[in-house]
Amino acid sequence: MKYMSCKPTRRDRRRSTRRGVVFAAGTAAIVLTAGACGSSSAATPPASSQVPASAKQTIVFATDGLGSEGKATDAAVAAFEKANPNIHVQVLALSPTSNVALNQLDQRFISGSSTPDVIYLDVIRPVQFAQSGWLANLNKFHVPTSTFFPAQMATGEYKGGVYAVPWFINAEGVYYRTDLVKTPPKTPAQLVADARSLLATHPSLKEGFAFEGAEYEGAVTAFQSMGGNIASSTLSNINNSSNLATLTFMYDAIHKYHISPSAVTTWEESNVQNAWLSGQTPFALNWPYLFQLSEAAGSPVAGKTGWIPFPSATGKPQASLGGADLAINAKSTHQAAAWKFIQYLTSIPAQVTRAINAGDPPSVKAAYTAHLYSVAPYYRQEQAVYAAAVPRPITPVYSNISTDIQTMISSVLAGQESPAAALKSTAPQVAQLQATVR
Amino acid sequence: MRQVQTPPVPHAQGEPGPDRPEPPSRAARGAGQGLRRSDRRFGYWAIAPAVVLLLAITAFPLLYNLWDSFHHVDYLNPSTLGKFAGLGNYKALVTNNLFVPSLERTLGFTAVSVVVELVIGMALALALNQRFRGRGLVRAAVFIPWAVPTVVSGMLWKSMFDPQTGFVNYILTVLHLPLAHATWLDGTYTGWAAILIADAWRNTPFMAILLLAGLQVIPAELYEAARLDGASVWKAFRHVTLPMLKPALMVALIFRTLSSFLIFDVISAMTSGGPGTSTQALAYLNWQAIIQDSNFGFAAAISVALMIMTLIIAAGYLRIFRPDYTR
Repeated sequence: MKYMSCKPTRRDRRRSTRRGVVFAAGTAAIVLTAGACGSSSAATPPASSQVPASAKQTIVFATDGLGSEGKATDAAVAAFEKANPNIHVQVLALSPTSNVALNQLDQRFISGSSTPDVIYLDVIRPVQFAQSGWLANLNKFHVPTSTFFPAQMATGEYKGGVYAVPWFINAEGVYYRTDLVKTPPKTPAQLVADARSLLATHPSLKEGFAFEGAEYEGAVTAFQSMGGNIASSTLSNINNSSNLATLTFMYDAIHKYHISPSAVTTWEESNVQNAWLSGQTPFALNWPYLFQLSEAAGSPVAGKTGWIPFPSATGKPQASLGGADLAINAKSTHQAAAWKFIQYLTSIPAQVTRAINAGDPPSVKAAYTAHLYSVAPYYRQEQAVYAAAVPRPITPVYSNISTDIQTMISSVLAGQESPAAALKSTAPQVAQLQATVR
Repeated sequence: MRQVQTPPVPHAQGEPGPDRPEPPSRAARGAGQGLRRSDRRFGYWAIAPAVVLLLAITAFPLLYNLWDSFHHVDYLNPSTLGKFAGLGNYKALVTNNLFVPSLERTLGFTAVSVVVELVIGMALALALNQRFRGRGLVRAAVFIPWAVPTVVSGMLWKSMFDPQTGFVNYILTVLHLPLAHATWLDGTYTGWAAILIADAWRNTPFMAILLLAGLQVIPAELYEAARLDGASVWKAFRHVTLPMLKPALMVALIFRTLSSFLIFDVISAMTSGGPGTSTQALAYLNWQAIIQDSNFGFAAAISVALMIMTLIIAAGYLRIFRPDYTR
């Protein structure tokens, strides 16, 4: 530690050495702490320190979720504790904002904390966390991987290990007004034609197609849902025809067809939600949570809502996969109890209850039961979108790649770069990031 | 002779200034001499907790950050974690194609925003220093924006600039002014203009508060003397107000320049650095390196660069406003 001298540096001869001692002691203590912090390494606790599942213990569950989602989590925790009276689950509330939640988790993992034991992770994070050595390999628990939707299961698998288990699925599709659009469009061109003719004939409509185009993660999912091909295998060169077509479509929707207002370049999901729920647009790209809100009492679009994957020019539609996974902290000493809790959360009854009460679509295929359909019939329609779901690139450097793609989309939508030029300049950046993965 | 004689630059009440050396007070002289040894020892122990605390919350993070900046601290690359990187992170500042453009934008924004805020803040302070009915109420009203948290004001302005539902385009439409159909946050210059407006709306009152405080300590006799000498309002401002306002002006400028230079929250709330990277400022880049990329080493290099630049700016101001001994 050369940067901090332990010697008193002041040259004032009158100062007593005692003062120097006090100063040096304080300094030394701080430097020592710095050294200790700097050299902390990821070490997994030995198996012997693991607390057996049968012991009386408390596990910490880090999760986000406000309102109905938060309530559903509390109810699930209560039910789990009742069935397992020796395990107490303490909920650690994370921010509902993905970036802030990431920061909160980062801080705990970087400090080497053994809590939280169970972590809720957005599907884009598990591989990144696994690469950092923060997540426990769940292979030892023999995860029943085939019971989940395969696209989401893949988000938790890395280098032969299972590091996260799907909790609930999400995919982005196109909402359309069943009273205005008789047959849902089969191609992007049809969607444009429908939107334009509706805009011309219905003065109450303000726009034809609402999507989120602000520079944030949502722009990437919108891009992917509209046909962008950024599968993990394409990262060495994302300059492909699907991406060019999608970027061109997004630009044209605003600047050529005028079916999307230029305001979408600053819109996030909540803005799209408002546009849809106010009945001012016949088409809107959004996540499944909006279905429940659309069908709620008093909604102007109740009974007029349909939901499909974004129509594809090639006939094979795709929907950007979202959703949440559950993982266990590599340093947790309560891994057995943590796994028990995850098993409970992914059990069919718990999945159905959450789907009904919080609108979170089950990640377990078998949870789409007759009972679920009878209570919430829209889940039947939603399954078509989940079936088309494709994950965002599964790579530890996803955050960095996403930043580049967001910038690319934003500069195209703003007219700063042509789709072709933007792809050409972004592709090598993405390839370079992906090449750093070992 | 029209030149109004200016007295030496005064300081806030009670604070001895560096230009007016005061004889050391009894207590100051006594330290280390008049006190008994045991008293002195007790004194050191008494301040030790404060010193340790200060070191812990200022020196430690600073040095830790410096350490990070010379090491590989990229949590996505655990194999090199903590290994010495030499100047690698600093080299990346130059080779990375984001840092230099961000620096240029940040400097441009800082210059424009400080000038705008200074001019408006000065006008506000001069107006609020006049006597008029309801002055207390107006003063309080002017300072309200400053009490609004930056992120909140950013969100507020974002919705004001919404092209469909926002107030800005509405008023421009009503008044038949240009840019009534602009998507403000979707253009480089309109985006920066929106950020500037949001930032100035919140921070100009701060500038005004500091300048007003400075104005209030200028004795009225000086203006009377200037008037008797036949100085115009402008001359009085130029030769009485400005020189007397120097200390307050320096504080206000240093504060505002540094916080403009480190602008983050308004950008994060309004544009997220977009469209593309056109409104990315240095602090935003720093945030991205830490939070999104979890590359603490590179982020630390950005922070150190930021720190050095802020020190240079502060030192520059101190030099410009150095008390003039030659008069």
